[in-house]
Amino acid sequence: MADTTVLTVENLSVTLDGLSVLHNVSFTLKEGEAFAVLGPNGAGKTVLFRALLGLLPHAGLVQWRPDIKIGYVPQRFAVDRSAPISALEFFLLQSPDFWRPSAAFTDQLDEELRLMGLNRNVLRKGLGELSGGETQRVLIASALLQKPGVLLLDEPTAAVDAGFEETVYALLRRVQMERGTALLLISHDLSVVYRYAQRVLCLDRSVVCQGPPVEALNPEALATLYGEAGFYQHEHGPGHERGPGHRH
Amino acid sequence: MHPPPHTSFWIALLVGIASGSVGPFILLRRMALVGDALSHVALPGIALALIYHVDPFYGVIAFLIGAAFLVYWLEGRSRVPPDAIVGLLFTASLAIGILMIPNEDVIESLFGAFPTLSLPLLFVILLAAAVLSALCFWLAKRFLFLIVSPDLARVHGLGRGYDLALLLIFAMIVALGIKLVGTLLMGALTIIPASIAKNLAPNMRQYVILSAVFGGAISVAGVWLAESFRFLPGPAIVLLGVGLFVLSLPFARRAA
Repeated sequence: MADTTVLTVENLSVTLDGLSVLHNVSFTLKEGEAFAVLGPNGAGKTVLFRALLGLLPHAGLVQWRPDIKIGYVPQRFAVDRSAPISALEFFLLQSPDFWRPSAAFTDQLDEELRLMGLNRNVLRKGLGELSGGETQRVLIASALLQKPGVLLLDEPTAAVDAGFEETVYALLRRVQMERGTALLLISHDLSVVYRYAQRVLCLDRSVVCQGPPVEALNPEALATLYGEAGFYQHEHGPGHERGPGHRH
Repeated sequence: MHPPPHTSFWIALLVGIASGSVGPFILLRRMALVGDALSHVALPGIALALIYHVDPFYGVIAFLIGAAFLVYWLEGRSRVPPDAIVGLLFTASLAIGILMIPNEDVIESLFGAFPTLSLPLLFVILLAAAVLSALCFWLAKRFLFLIVSPDLARVHGLGRGYDLALLLIFAMIVALGIKLVGTLLMGALTIIPASIAKNLAPNMRQYVILSAVFGGAISVAGVWLAESFRFLPGPAIVLLGVGLFVLSLPFARRAA
């Protein structure tokens, strides 16, 4: 049987300014699955992503399948809204020719726009003029240009209006189904994890639980994750006597 | 003594275009003030060159390139906010420069003059300005990527080397224009055309092109004004640019 693992993480630890922010995290990501990383604020979810992308120094093993292409979807643009940069130009950052894009590139861009349910008119808008939903879909479409085998999404609906969250997840599911793209996504929203992820990793600086959401997200795990959010989690893991509920 | 008039016009045109080409990236990286202060570092370079009887241009370029490396190094240390250090250090170098430069050369060093240049040096300056402008256009995509999303750019393999490249290009363009515009005002020449173009351009590609055009046009027109009315060229260029910026304000798209 062929090995379907696209990412292996073993004993990943990250220390920033002398403070341990991730400790002994291990998991694997399989081809085409939707895998959620769940945890409270400050649990180290974004740090985990940055380490996986090679943007942070870390200890332990992060091994991507050698032929895999990784698409990264950041939460937002880093420029202020007055910057005169059009959505088309954001896509052109990945074109071999920025000043005169080829027809092949434009065709491929049209395909990704269609998959994300975006109209070509969006290309003329400035990055600062896009709505939250458009921004997110533009970011995802841009990551898809490389035809990645895996998409990393950092809270893909953080800046999206409430009613639009569903649409973004429906579009992501479409990408997963039509292209077989694996999704690795950060979320703090339990309902999203239940509905869209095949497996979940609960993180609070170290791994609290792991597995299919219905099994992994048991009452103890949730209490450890959210009931004691202000505590530093020692490596004994869940189960030691600190009842949930205090320090809210 | 009256220098050949064409010298100033050619420098104004090509250095103006180069200033306009690099300006959008400096502005979008929110480095306008650091860039402006960086030009002050040229002053001790001028002073040392005068003391050792070499052309001030060489002192300027050496000090500015050193300052570019310094800013790059400071930006890499996340724990030290670079603004304060840059501000203090560069103001100090302005003060040191003023103390070292002979009185009769102070005004010219600060605000520029119609330069007298040997033909080979003029040629080097013009060629360098053309090459640096072309580099800005060629590297535009990578500079922009690092501005729009630094993390994404790094995932696509763009390292901090491009930050250094931008600083060095900027420092060299400032060095090329200092004889004409002066150490106090040259930083402004890189910011003004980009500020005007930002109010008018609908997208990045037009922004860079417009900024380059404004840079060349404002500098040439400023030199012409200065020659006609016997002003110093630096203040004439900068004031003309600021005037155009005010006129461009009504066209600014509303920033959300």
